[in-house]
This record gives sequence, structure tokens and C-alpha cells, in this order.
Amino acid sequence: MNVIEAENLSKTFRVKQKEKGMKGSLKAILHPRTESVQAVDRISFTVKEGEMLAFIGPNGAGKSTTIKMLTGILYPDGGAVEVLGINPAKRRKQLAYKIGTVFGQKEQLWTHLTPYDNFRFFGAIYDLSDKEAETRIQELSDIFELDAFINTPVRNLSLGQRIRCELVASLIHKPQVLFLDEPTIGLDPVVKENIRSLIKQMNRELHTTIFLTSHDIGDIEKLCKRIIIVNNGRLVLDDSMEHLKYHYLNKKIVELKLQEDAPLPSTEGITILKRKGSHAKLEIDTSVIKINDALHHIDAEHVEDINISNIPLENIIMEIYKSEGRELAVL
Amino acid sequence: MRKYVVIYRSVLIENLQYAGNVAMGFISYFIIIFIFIHLWDYMYASPDSLIAGYTKEQMIWYVMITEMIWFGTRSNTITRQVSADIRGGNIAYLMNKPYHYTLYILARYTGEWSIRLPMYAALSTLIGLTMVGGLASFRLVTFLAALPCLLLGVTIHALFKLCISLLSFWVEDANPFQWLYDKMILVIGTIFPIEIFPDALQPLFKLTPIYTVCYGPAKLLIDFSMDKYLEVLSAQIIYLAAGCGMMFFIYGKGAKKLYVNGG
Repeated sequence: MNVIEAENLSKTFRVKQKEKGMKGSLKAILHPRTESVQAVDRISFTVKEGEMLAFIGPNGAGKSTTIKMLTGILYPDGGAVEVLGINPAKRRKQLAYKIGTVFGQKEQLWTHLTPYDNFRFFGAIYDLSDKEAETRIQELSDIFELDAFINTPVRNLSLGQRIRCELVASLIHKPQVLFLDEPTIGLDPVVKENIRSLIKQMNRELHTTIFLTSHDIGDIEKLCKRIIIVNNGRLVLDDSMEHLKYHYLNKKIVELKLQEDAPLPSTEGITILKRKGSHAKLEIDTSVIKINDALHHIDAEHVEDINISNIPLENIIMEIYKSEGRELAVL
Repeated sequence: MRKYVVIYRSVLIENLQYAGNVAMGFISYFIIIFIFIHLWDYMYASPDSLIAGYTKEQMIWYVMITEMIWFGTRSNTITRQVSADIRGGNIAYLMNKPYHYTLYILARYTGEWSIRLPMYAALSTLIGLTMVGGLASFRLVTFLAALPCLLLGVTIHALFKLCISLLSFWVEDANPFQWLYDKMILVIGTIFPIEIFPDALQPLFKLTPIYTVCYGPAKLLIDFSMDKYLEVLSAQIIYLAAGCGMMFFIYGKGAKKLYVNGG
């Protein structure tokens, strides 16, 4: 069952333009000029119930605008969108009861109140009875291990503790879909890992559909099974992580420590990325030459050390951003 | 409705921590009242004379009550905060909750003045009783009857201020409009009662919200009459309905053209 259905979703903004300097400012008063910016351009996709989806793209790609249209904050200019069978623009309030949002860069908690008071507050906002709210707080407090600081004012919590509380606040009403916009921003690696495992657990135990936006490749790689990439307002890629890796991880990086002046292989499928003294970095295209054959071209007698690795997912995504899906025709 | 009561209660809890800060504003209030006490002392030739139908005590108590409303209800929440939310895009993170943004702001604002206004009321009573003396016409029953008018006046004031702030959906800066509205309220309804102004202007003033915000409640508290009570209350009900209608209309139109920067 699809929980999100977007078809040809579009949004254009009118952005004010002003020429430089005082003259430009005066001119802008007399003759205001605006320019149209196509923030989202006919994007179509669906999300299934219980899915964990990464919705990524570079800054200004249209990710946040899309999320805001999916949550009913912005009105689309064109296309159609339904979240849990509800048109967000027309019935935003009704939809709010069924979805949750966490914006890593924005606090929704009241900082002078304790997490417990905040949860009671959000419980009331979502029309939970006192008993329901209490049960839910206890349940989520156990999952997210909040007992140690549930009665400490939010302003005194660490960032990691606050994000955990933000997640709980957004889950208090048992949302079916959770929109996470950079939930791990600014967190240290240990806390990031902790938040990721909690999100996984939440998806597994509460069957919450996760719609994740993040610039952190670790979030995407460790949480999501499917990835949608947008750039310049257009959908560039919609694929499973497995498929993406299979098609894009056909390049291996070979790092070598050689004896001085040792020759490097020069054959099709092997690209020398860097050579500095005894260190060399090669890229092997396994669709052209097998890794085994490529290694035969390297003179083993001169090799002191060797390391073979995949191209980081980050580089693959950067490549996709740059190419804007031209390679998609290949897939 | 329960959710707005919870918002109100949460702001109340939050603001109780800053009750001490409110006392800092007492200094400005005291200076203004001190000046007006001496000004009206000078203006009234004899203790029994009347100006625009007000005795000296009534005139000073009038200013104290309107200034109390002014100081006790001022807040950035319905003015700069709303404008900043709209212009900066923060409104996006408040709109996606199952409440109406404008009612959320009003509940917050009410939570703020619920602490400040009683504190200023206590100070006004203290200054009034020690420096001016009690009002001969004061009756507890009429005071209690006028109290809802005071609360309605504050709510109408908030509605109009909020409507002006919501203009930020269209204009870069709504503060000049706020300034204009504030000055009208301050000069016409706060510092001087409407009766001070020329007869020709008075009916005009009675048609404005100014009549219902400061003048009406203050007049009833210092010189209660049933005719005036019904007149003020009717005007307040009309303005409350008009203010609510205007607020929902402006917000509904503005939210549809909301432009939120990314991030």
C-alpha cells in the first residue's frame, strides 16, 4: 500500500531581484522586479507503507520544498499529491494527526519545559487523553532511554539528548509517516549511530514509514533501502540502494606502496589517479577489466603494500548530482 | 479548545520563571504615572473642578488603568515574533501541527499577559491608593462587571495587532503599521480619554477599535454606568467578531502564498 503518492508535483517561487548598490535599491523601489524560480519541477514518486526512504540532493535541489508540500505547508502550483490518502494542501490539520516531523535544525520542543512536560503538551495538541499520553510517554521513554533526563529542562540537555526527545515528541501521536530532515546534523559519530539505531528500531517495532532527508551519507547508507535523488527541482534517480551500489560500485580504488621508480600499469580500464613518490592511487573499472586481471598488470615484485576499496557512496552520489541523471539511461 | 488551554498553561509555566524581569518595567511605568500625577495636579485649578467630566482622581486613575493595560499587555509574540516567523520561514514549522497558527499565537500571548497584567494591576493599585487616593464611585460589584470588558479589550487589541503582523505575508516590514496603530491607541485612548477631544471627533473615535481597547474598560472601571456598560460590551462583541473574521481571512489568504526558503 502506498502512503505517499506524488505525481508531476511542481512549485515555482517568485524571487525579488535587485541590482547592486544604492542606485539598484532605488530602482527596485520604483520598478520592483521578480524572477521565477522553479523549485520543484514535475516530480513523481510513491512511497510504500513501512519503507525507509532517503530523499536527497544538493542544497537548493528542492528537497525541503517537496517535504513542505507533502506536509501541507506549501501549496503546489501543479501536479497532485496524496499522503495517507489525504490532500495535504486541502486538509493539512487532518494530515498533521497522522504524520510526524523532525527538523534537525529547528527545535519544536519548548526549551524551558522538561521533556516530560513537552510530551504532555504534544499529547494534548494531538488530542490524546491524559491516560493515553502517559502510557505513550512511558513506552517511548523506554525505547529511547529517556529516564535519566526526562525531568531536566530541555535547555540543559545535550544535543544528542535533545534530538532523542525531538523524535519522541514527533512520535507521541503514533504517526504513520515520519519526515526526518537532517536528524543527525551536528551530532558526534557515537550519538549519530545511536540515533540511527533508534530510527531503525522505530521503523521495525512501530512500523513507521520513514522519509529521510540528509546530507550525511552514513544516515542514508545505514538506514535506507531506497534512494531518491533530486537536483535543480527534478528527480534524477529513484532506485534501491542495492541496485545503486551494484551499478555504481563497478569501480575499485587500488592504493599501492611501491618501490621507488616502479612502473605503473598502462592498460584500458586502469586510470592512474595520483602518483607521489612511492605512493600511487589507481582506479579500476571492473566493467572493462576484471580486478584479478588488473592486479596481474601490477608488478608484484615492486609492491610493498596494497589496499583495495570501493568508491565511497559519497563520491557516487556526487557524480550523480553532477551528471544530473545522464547516466540513468544506462541503468 | 483543550489544546489552546494547554498552550496557555505551558506559556504560563514558562513565563513564571521570568516574573522578576517584569518588575524591571515597573520603573518606566512609575515614571510615566508620576509625571501624569503632577501634570493633572497642575491642570486642575481646584480639587473639585472637572475637566471633560472627570474629577482629578478619575483622570489620574484613568491614565493609570490605560497605562496598566498598555504596559501589562505589550509583547513581541503577536508583533515582531509573528512577522519574523513569516519573513524567516519559521512559520512552516509551526503550521504543521494540528492547531490553528493564529489561535496558537493568541494562546501564547494570553499566557504572557496573564502574568504581567495582574502584576501591573497590583502596582497601579498601590500607587493609586498611596499617591492619589481611592475613587469615591468605586464599587466592587461594578468592578467585577467591568472586568470582562477589560479582558475583551485586551483580546481585541491582540487581534488587531496580530492582523497587522500577518500583513508580513505581503509586505517586507509590518512594523510601521504597528507603530501607527500603537500611536493612535496611545494618544487617543490611553493618555487622554475620548471626552478630551473636540465633540466633532468623538463619534468618529467611538467607531474605531480604540474605543473598545483602552477607553471603554478604563471608563467603566472609574465611572460605571449601565448604559455605558452595554454600549462598550456591544461594541466589543462586534469588534471581536470582526477582528476574528479579519484574522482568519488574512491568515487564510497569506498561508496560500507562503514562500519559504529552503533549508
